Formats: sequence, C-alpha cells, structure tokens
Amino acid sequence: MPSNAGWLDRFVDGLPETRFFQFVAAHILVPYWAWRTPVKLLPGGPPPSVQPGDNVQRMMNLVMPLKDKSPVGRAKAALAIAQNKDEIYAGLDNVGTVHFARFVIVDNNICMFSVYDGDFTNYIRHFIVTIGSVFDAVVSLVDGGDDVIPSEDNVEKFIEWVHAHDMYQVPDLATGILRDQEALNGDTAAPGNDDLRLLPRQLILQLNVNNNVSLGSGYRAYPGYSAAQVRQQFGSGW
Amino acid sequence: MDDPLEAKSLETKSLEAKSLEAKSLEAKQLVDAIISDFPDHDPNTRPVHTIGIGVDGYFIASDVARSYCIAEHFKGQRVRTSVRFSNGSGSPVQHDGWSDVRGMATRFHLENDAATDLIAMTLGEFFSPQVKDFFEFTKAAQQQPYQMENPWRKILDMLQLKIPLRNPYPKETTSADAGMLCYANRHRFAQLAVFQAASIGAPVSYARATYHAVHTFVVTAPDGIRRPVRFSWQPVAGVRTTDPTAPPVDKYLHKELRDRLQQWTARFILMMTIGEAGDAIDDPTEPWPAKRLRIVMGTLTLTGVAEDQAAASEHISFNPCRLLPGIEASGDPILHARRGAYENSRERRHGTPCPFNRSETDAK
Repeated sequence: MPSNAGWLDRFVDGLPETRFFQFVAAHILVPYWAWRTPVKLLPGGPPPSVQPGDNVQRMMNLVMPLKDKSPVGRAKAALAIAQNKDEIYAGLDNVGTVHFARFVIVDNNICMFSVYDGDFTNYIRHFIVTIGSVFDAVVSLVDGGDDVIPSEDNVEKFIEWVHAHDMYQVPDLATGILRDQEALNGDTAAPGNDDLRLLPRQLILQLNVNNNVSLGSGYRAYPGYSAAQVRQQFGSGW
Repeated sequence: MDDPLEAKSLETKSLEAKSLEAKSLEAKQLVDAIISDFPDHDPNTRPVHTIGIGVDGYFIASDVARSYCIAEHFKGQRVRTSVRFSNGSGSPVQHDGWSDVRGMATRFHLENDAATDLIAMTLGEFFSPQVKDFFEFTKAAQQQPYQMENPWRKILDMLQLKIPLRNPYPKETTSADAGMLCYANRHRFAQLAVFQAASIGAPVSYARATYHAVHTFVVTAPDGIRRPVRFSWQPVAGVRTTDPTAPPVDKYLHKELRDRLQQWTARFILMMTIGEAGDAIDDPTEPWPAKRLRIVMGTLTLTGVAEDQAAASEHISFNPCRLLPGIEASGDPILHARRGAYENSRERRHGTPCPFNRSETDAK
C-alpha cells in the first residue's frame, strides 16, 4: 500500500515476502499456532443441503495416496483404470446421476474427480453396486485401502473411507471458512469476540491439517440441471 | 360517529398517515446517519456516491429475457439508458485510486415517460440485514484519526499470522476502517461485506468492474410464475483493478471513460440469478450460492459520456424501488428503506424528481 512510509515501515511491509520470514512462518509460527489454537479437519465434499440447486452437479474430488510410491506403483494404478474401461463406462451409465468423471494421477496419488447429482452416500452406494470391482482394484493399491475391500461387504465403512478422502471444499465466500469452522465446533454463540483479521490464520491452520482442498464450488456455465434433465433435453435417453 | 364503515375508513387513513410519517422520519434519519460518516460532506450533493459521471447508452434484452420477466425493458426492443458511475465515498474530494466500493446506477427510459432504475455496486453484499442494524453500523463507521501502524505492532501481527493494518494513503488522515472492523467483529452478518470492502481495490476503469444489485426482486414471467432474482452487471471488457502497490492516482476514472467511449463502445451483460426456496431472499448481507441458475437478460452498450453532466450525473435521481409491472421489490427491509432515503436525499440536494411510475404509485 503506497504511503508516506519510512524505511523501517517499508522493510517491515516487505518482511512476509522474505525467505527468512517464510522459513520462520513455516517452521515456527504455523506449528506454534497449530498447537496453541488447534483446528479440526473440515469434512470433505459439498456441505449437506436440501435445496435443489445444491443437489445437482456436486463435486467429488477423491485424492488417494498410492501404497507404491514409484513409477511402478503409478503404472499399476493407470493399468487398473485402463483394463476396466468398459466396466467403468457401463457402471457410470447405470448410476445415472454422474455428469463427468475422470481418474488422474497427481504425484503419488490416484485421484477420481467427478460431478454427480444427489446424495453423496447414495452415489457411492450405487457405485459399489455397479462398479465395485473396479473400485476394489483401485483401492487395493491405496494406503489403508485393504481395510475396506471388498466394498460390497463393507458398504458403510467404504462410504466413510471415500468421504475421508474427498477434498474439503473451501466456500466461495471469503468468510465462509469461519462459518464452517464454527459449525464444526458447534459454535452457535452470538459473536462478540471475533477478530476478522485472524481470517488468514484460520485458513493457514486449516490448510496445515488439510493439504488438499478444492477452492470454491467451481464455475458452471449452466448450473441447476441434473444429468437426467440434460440427457432428456438433448434427446440422449438412457 | 354513526356509520361503522366510515369510522373504520378514517381509522385506516389515520394509521396509513402515521405509517407514512414514520417512514419519512426513518428516511430522514437514515440520510442524517450516512452524512454523519463524512464530516466534509457538501449538503448539495449525494450523501454517498458523491463523485460520479453520467453516461449515455442503450439496452437490448436477450431472446430469453422475455420468457422470465414481462417488464417492458425485457421485451427486446432498444431501450435508451442513462447510467451514472460513482465512487462510494460521501466526501466531495475525489480519490479514484483509493480502495473503495463503486456504484453503477442505470435508468431504462421507456415509452410514455415511464422508466425503471437498477442500482448496483461493486460489493456483492450489504453490511446489515435490518434498518436498525444499519443505524448502528453508520455509528460505528464514523471517521476516526488514521495513522500508520507502528512497525513493531505490524511485526507482532505477523507473528500472530494476522493481517497488519493497511498503511494510510498519502494525505489520508481519517478512516472508517477501525470502526467497521470493530462492528464486524461483533456482528457476523457484517463480516463478509467489511472484509470484501477492505480488499476491494480500485478498478482501472468504471467499465471494468462487476456491479451487483445486491437486493432480491421478484420477477413475473408471461405464464404468471413469480421468481426471486438478483441482478448483476458483468463487464464485457473483463474485471481489472489497479496495482495496489503503485501510488494511487486521485483523478483518472472520468478521463479513462471519456477516452474509452470516444474510441469504442463499452458493454455490460445483465445477469439474473434465480433464487431457490431457502435462499436468503430478504437479507442483502447473504450472497446466494454460486450454483444458482443464472440467466443472461441482455446487453447494455455505453455510447458516450453525457454532454450535460449537471443533468446526467448531479441532478438525476435514481431509486431502487422505481420498478415496472413485472418486477417487484422483495420483502428486504433495507431495499424498502432505500426508497424513502433516496427521495429524502434528492429533496435535500434539489435533485430532479424521480416520479414513480403510475402503476407503482397506485399500488402504494
């Protein structure tokens, strides 16, 4: 911010961009404040809502760390998808509420990004029924995945596991993360001692416990329509 | 009195007169409260959005607009418009380069001297949901001496992972920031607007900002379906703000707009977002989720800066409740309070009267 700042002011203003301060922030300040004012991990996926517009085109962003963090491990994951292409497509068609779905390997994570309509638990339940064997093949390559397969025998456990790997969706509104944190903590008290200037710390500490997040609910050119409506409108049928 | 019907009628008239009197008093108090936030306010000017520029243009509705709203300006014909862009401050001193909310008031001129207004600003939400809260907010937003934060204090803020206070602009000696922040810390409904306003910046051009009408209106479609909606103007040229680290320039927005419109037209798309049951229909502090259905209602083309700026910028009077058949105000109490406050403000500065359309007046 331009002003009549003296040399000390200018030095201090530039401090956050220095390597020294960034080192101090990463190795001292963040761990200290994470210990002093711990924040809970905010749950993944879109927040529950009864409103129709919030229940179509919902995002699922699964990030699943591979057991074998080598090119061989990544290749195994890629093959697990490639070998089951027909099963995946048929399964997605049968689920019927999916707009888009894709698998991606990022670093040593196998990720599934999809856009679906309706309730998350029902979405995964349908998946288990229609495409469970593919999921089992993928999940078997993932850290902690052995505990939840075969998915058909561990439906509720499997749903919880997927939910835990779904990215937290940072709200579209700047102060939304404060409201999410309050809701998670059961904080319904009237405000009085809030400090809006601490919003960056709240975000930093959440990102400290939550490495992967989705930023906002995402742009949509035509929000408000379900996959069924789009297919019907364009005469694609089922 | 023998006739009970006549007695009832007199009682109703008396209650209506009292209600009008109360509204008039509230409007006066609102304008007084806003003016009190700007000690250097010139009484012959607007209480806020004082510095502005009038622009001529026209609006053409999209093909789909008429299927959502029967209002005349959405039928598709070319509609003449008068637009006033403004800086948010109520101070008569122009500081284009300071971070501030900007305004865009649009009048759609229709046949038989009918007209409707759409008033929007670069902030996507308002500071308070109720009029009584707004009075408190204006008290909190009084100008206070503003000095640069001590560098040691800034370091202490940084150690707490807290945003240091911004440095004052050159010659900036007072600010409402501290009071607004204090108010927001005590009222969660104000936090989003205060946070956004603090970081909103300065646009490189009035034609390169998005403007939100903030309040909910109810539009009626040809089939009689009524929908809650919110409007916003999106610039075809895209959104861009100035470099916040560069020295602020006090006067550039008017010249930039003149130069721009001498070369070519500038356009805005009118977007209408349709609310759903459960959305904050009557609360302007709560933006609707980004997932709501948005309809392109038309394109505004700005053709040139108006020659007579006294008429097109200073004397012209807008009112967010100047509506047409097909568009109604929602129950938002702030929107309703603005009707009287804008009229009171107009009377004080001797602005051109803003006659409400016959159907609107009759409906009251």
